[in-house]
Amino acid sequence: MFTTRTRAAVTALLAAASLVLAACGADADDEGGGDGKVLKLWHYEGATSAMGVAWAEAIKQFEASHPGVKVQFEEKGFEQIRQSANMILNSDEAPDIMEYNKGNASAGLLSKQGLLTDLSSEAGKRGWDKISPSIQTTCKYDEQGIMGGDKWFGVPNYAEYVMVYYNKDLFTKHNVRVPTTLAEFEAAMDTFVKAGVTPLSVGGAEYPAQQIFYELALSKANRSWVDSYQLYKGKVDFKGPELTYAANTFADWVKKGYIAKDSAGIKADPMGVAWTQGKFPILISGSWWYGRFVAEAKGFQWGTFLFPGNSLHPGSGGNIWVVPNKAKNKDLAYDFIDITMKPEIQSLLGNSGGVPVLGDLSKITDPKSKELIENFDKLNSSDGLAFYPDWPAPGYYDVLVAGTQHLINGTKTPAQVLDEIAKPYNDNLTSIGK
Amino acid sequence: MNARLSRSAVLAVLTLLVIVVLSPFALVALNAVKSPAEYASGGPLSLPDSLYFKGLADFWIRVDFGEKLFNSFLISASVAVLAVIVSILNAYALGIGRVRGRGAFLVFFLLANLLPQEALVYPLYYLSKEVGLYNTQLAVIIIFTAIQSAFGTYLLSSVYTAFPREMLEAAAIDGAGKWRTLWRVVVPISWPSLSVLFTFFFIWTWNEFFLPLIFLISNDKQTVPVALGVLQGDRMMDATTTSASALLGIVPAIIFFLIFQRTLTRGVMAGAIK
Repeated sequence: MFTTRTRAAVTALLAAASLVLAACGADADDEGGGDGKVLKLWHYEGATSAMGVAWAEAIKQFEASHPGVKVQFEEKGFEQIRQSANMILNSDEAPDIMEYNKGNASAGLLSKQGLLTDLSSEAGKRGWDKISPSIQTTCKYDEQGIMGGDKWFGVPNYAEYVMVYYNKDLFTKHNVRVPTTLAEFEAAMDTFVKAGVTPLSVGGAEYPAQQIFYELALSKANRSWVDSYQLYKGKVDFKGPELTYAANTFADWVKKGYIAKDSAGIKADPMGVAWTQGKFPILISGSWWYGRFVAEAKGFQWGTFLFPGNSLHPGSGGNIWVVPNKAKNKDLAYDFIDITMKPEIQSLLGNSGGVPVLGDLSKITDPKSKELIENFDKLNSSDGLAFYPDWPAPGYYDVLVAGTQHLINGTKTPAQVLDEIAKPYNDNLTSIGK
Repeated sequence: MNARLSRSAVLAVLTLLVIVVLSPFALVALNAVKSPAEYASGGPLSLPDSLYFKGLADFWIRVDFGEKLFNSFLISASVAVLAVIVSILNAYALGIGRVRGRGAFLVFFLLANLLPQEALVYPLYYLSKEVGLYNTQLAVIIIFTAIQSAFGTYLLSSVYTAFPREMLEAAAIDGAGKWRTLWRVVVPISWPSLSVLFTFFFIWTWNEFFLPLIFLISNDKQTVPVALGVLQGDRMMDATTTSASALLGIVPAIIFFLIFQRTLTRGVMAGAIK
């Protein structure tokens, strides 16, 4: 009895030992850099997304134009990159080129820690600086890691912006035309309310509500206000006309029934699903939904328009390509970025449902994509990207979620909400010494 | 009559509990076999018209799930075996050997067990980088062997403190040394406890997310929970594929649990007969 047990235990031991040995043996093949033969590339976009499609083609073109060089591509999880980018980039495991999130807390922080390569001279030499100034804002960081600085640390291939999605069938049914001014927009929503339909699908528990709030502020704002709010180039008065109008109008929209009382607890995904189910005629959110709606909103005809009357809209350049300081093949990485900026890759990105930064509308054949990029060109020609409301301070996202929830629930007056969101903003200014 | 009434009341409560526990699993399974278009038009609670397995298949191919299963199995099995062995050796010294200051040791192990993993990350990162084990499965195996055996030592020591002295004395009279006593007497008798530990270690290590996420950089070394993280985007969430991946992620753990469950009962029975 004991002996069979012992034998089992010994077998288990041996098995474990061989497993450990196998684990050791598996890491011997980790060389592969420095000789200009391998480009180690990471990104975290799905293979069927616009970026995934365009970048797969870019890899193909890169290998064709660089005979003898292999692209060693790995699809990463966003969570892993977010959690451990600084550790990876500080080790020999760093890739040669990697997709990374733009913004002060992500790319800005890494650039401040000296983990990213300064791309300024490459950007000038290779013409990446042809992209519009507001898209460049998220590529360039100062020595404190604050965006809008003087040095290039990343290059985006795509942009994103917030727009109004509308259900054409419901618009026709209620005899509503596409509005071109904010007053017409409100009149349109009144028509729906009178017919017993709540016009806006809003996710108050996540980012959508604060983007509507920000749209309303932007309707009264100009570029210098945005520079003050986002880049700390001036003082922002939270009781000024922009934010006061936003808070009052947002509260008004709830009172008038444009925004449902129960939307404070709705998350972004159910918001989108409620819209694709045809329960609401209008959804105000970003271009990141576009591809999904093209694929999934099958029950009705739909279209988009820019938030009526605004010349500034929430939006920004997309995630950026960064070259780690410890990358072993930086020249290959620059070549790869260059290929992703070529017209055919940019057009492919556009035709696959993305918003290219250097797109050529005449090359976009897909009708649905054309509408998306046409609208983007409209706002990009006036340099109308105003970034996102939660960017200026760490943890500000939750502050704005709470603030807009108070407006939806009516638990605080607009003035109280403005006081509530002003404090963390100003605290952050003090802490970075602005 | 009364007894029967209370019995059926208990049954009703239990049934209700089972439903509450199972409903998230049911929801995951429901959405895993639903097409994205149906999710968009019907929402998460609607029943799909037809079974849609493309989400499952796509996810499997996308992350090379077979490889991830192997990696997870390799790491969990190695950790479970090694951590049980280390626990036995520690607990033999502390529980039966009664080395001096064993109370302090046990408190130390308990504290080590309570330490959040986030606090360990940076020291472990620098250590593993120094010895060249960053981005290797061996690093994860060593770390988890230490973490799990801290708990194992704590638990097994209290089991061994209550070990019948007569048994040990009899072994000593028969001429068995310390080493022989351990493997021929103590281990076989405590087999049920050991298999419980083994099962727990295996499943706990299998479910670990944070440290493997930090230490296993290359995709071909990653484990199942880390692979599931691939789908968590910045803003977008793909509900049907996420459900498919969640289903693929839980199924192995459930299967292993069922397998171990049987060996567990067998272990307990064997102990009882002796």
